[in-house]
Amino acid sequence: MTEPLVRMENIRKHYGRVQALVDANFHVNEREIVGLLGDNGAGKSTLIKVLSGAVPLTSGDIFIRGKKVDLRSTSDAIAHGIETIYQDSALVTQLSIARNLFLGREPIKPPRFLNRMDQEAMNVVARDLLKQVGISKNIPPTTPIGSLSGGERQAVAIARAMHFDSDLIILDEPTNNLGVAETQGVLSFVRSARDSGHSCIFIAHNIHHVFQVVDRIVVMRRGKVVADDIDPKNTNVAEVERIITGMSDKEIHDAIVQGKQPQG
Amino acid sequence: MENGSIIQRSIARPEFGPFVLLVVELVVFWGFNHDFLSPQNISNILAFTVELGLIALAMTLLMTSGEFDLSVGSLFGFSPVLMWTLFNSGLTSLEAGFIVALLVAAFIGLVNGWFVTQLKIPSFLVTLGMLLVVRGTALFVTSGFPQRTWSAEGSWLAEALVGDFFIGPFRIYMSLFWFIAAAIALGYVLTQSRTGNWIQAAGGNPNAARARGVNVSGVKIGLFILSSIMASLAGVISSLRTSAANPNSGTGYELEVIAMVVIGGTALTGGRGTIIGTVLGILILRVMRNGIVLIGVPGLAYNIFIGAIILGMMALHSWLERRHQAGT
Repeated sequence: MTEPLVRMENIRKHYGRVQALVDANFHVNEREIVGLLGDNGAGKSTLIKVLSGAVPLTSGDIFIRGKKVDLRSTSDAIAHGIETIYQDSALVTQLSIARNLFLGREPIKPPRFLNRMDQEAMNVVARDLLKQVGISKNIPPTTPIGSLSGGERQAVAIARAMHFDSDLIILDEPTNNLGVAETQGVLSFVRSARDSGHSCIFIAHNIHHVFQVVDRIVVMRRGKVVADDIDPKNTNVAEVERIITGMSDKEIHDAIVQGKQPQG
Repeated sequence: MENGSIIQRSIARPEFGPFVLLVVELVVFWGFNHDFLSPQNISNILAFTVELGLIALAMTLLMTSGEFDLSVGSLFGFSPVLMWTLFNSGLTSLEAGFIVALLVAAFIGLVNGWFVTQLKIPSFLVTLGMLLVVRGTALFVTSGFPQRTWSAEGSWLAEALVGDFFIGPFRIYMSLFWFIAAAIALGYVLTQSRTGNWIQAAGGNPNAARARGVNVSGVKIGLFILSSIMASLAGVISSLRTSAANPNSGTGYELEVIAMVVIGGTALTGGRGTIIGTVLGILILRVMRNGIVLIGVPGLAYNIFIGAIILGMMALHSWLERRHQAGT
């Protein structure tokens, strides 16, 4: 078996006494879209934060293409080709599309000591990228992010990750608050990202969206990965919901009848 | 959005409102008193303008990064006091005293920046505390008395900073050139340079900027240092021009400077700033101060007009912002 792109082994994360991750094992293969599912508090966000360098792990190992890495900050993760896109915090709304795309990596016009951004080059690349991710409307790259819709913002963030050759793009709730057409747009960006050689982790509450796009489903419950090889083609939403909640059909039915929340 | 007419695009710019207001001011004051646009009066307005203006330029960048600095007025008073005290006591030459004053100011800016970025204390509280420390030091060191300043004659420092000459009938101080140079340099930094992109990102969405590897704390600390140095420089210029070093001078300047910056269209909450707008804001307040006296309104009524301008401009900026958000 070939070495996966990212492998996380026996990951533990404690917040004080709370065990957010308990020996979690997780991997993503090359050119694969993995759907990460779990109820609130199951540990998805913590796992992603560990992988994106946002929080340090308590113990465990992370390997990228078989090589052990130490992700101490988000910059570390980006340098290792891991890009995380949070719905609201990825972009600066006051800046233009082009300036957001190149934030932190702005091309400089010679002579370098003037520290002058090459805005024409940025606009040319931005226009090209917008076309690639299929933003159909004719939006100039100088448009501020603040006047784009939620789906368009996701598209810009995904375009940025693709342009800078991130190997792994993590999408945290990318379809939240989006309309039907926009959701389809985002799902197609995710597919085109995979087709051009990137891997993705897709986190969403809406299981139907996950089913439409992912190659493999991983389910977490109470800080552990409880299933990591679910093929969406060989299962259905109800079955996955059962795994997420850890209850049988009858238990779910009883819980609803008795007005109890399913435990997860 | 690219196909709007030139007029539509200029109206949508944040500098448009302040520009119109400045023109209205000029026309109204000139209408009441034709001496308003006399060379002597224009020279007068310009001399005062640049001293607060230098601080406002640096404050524009700092506010764009999402912070502000209330300690600038106290540094405006403290730095010349420090420079003259060193000089009068024979410890240093005037020039060396000037360098020491700037270095102390830079250190104060560094402390402000460190408290804000590392201890995560809001800049309002940090710089309010620093205002009291710096002003208190100036008063304590001088026992509240102005310093002797008459021996600056012939010093090259005084010539370089406030030497004056005539261009036609206009009396121009060297400080005007320093102001223009600072405006061009900082305008360039904010709109053209990579640093400018980081300043705007630091104010607009610091988490996103940090996630892209931008050193948000470094940017902010640098701007706090810049703000302190500019306030110190402005204080020294004012002191040399008026031959006075009063430990109380600059009191209340911090709020006037912040007013100049927000009137110009820079967002108090950060993320968006304009040097052109700030230059207009500086002129609006300075012209107002000069004009109302010239047309016979009691000088004590000045603040009423300033307050009304701030409220009016904020209403205009918020209206433009909402129109912009709505995409019209």
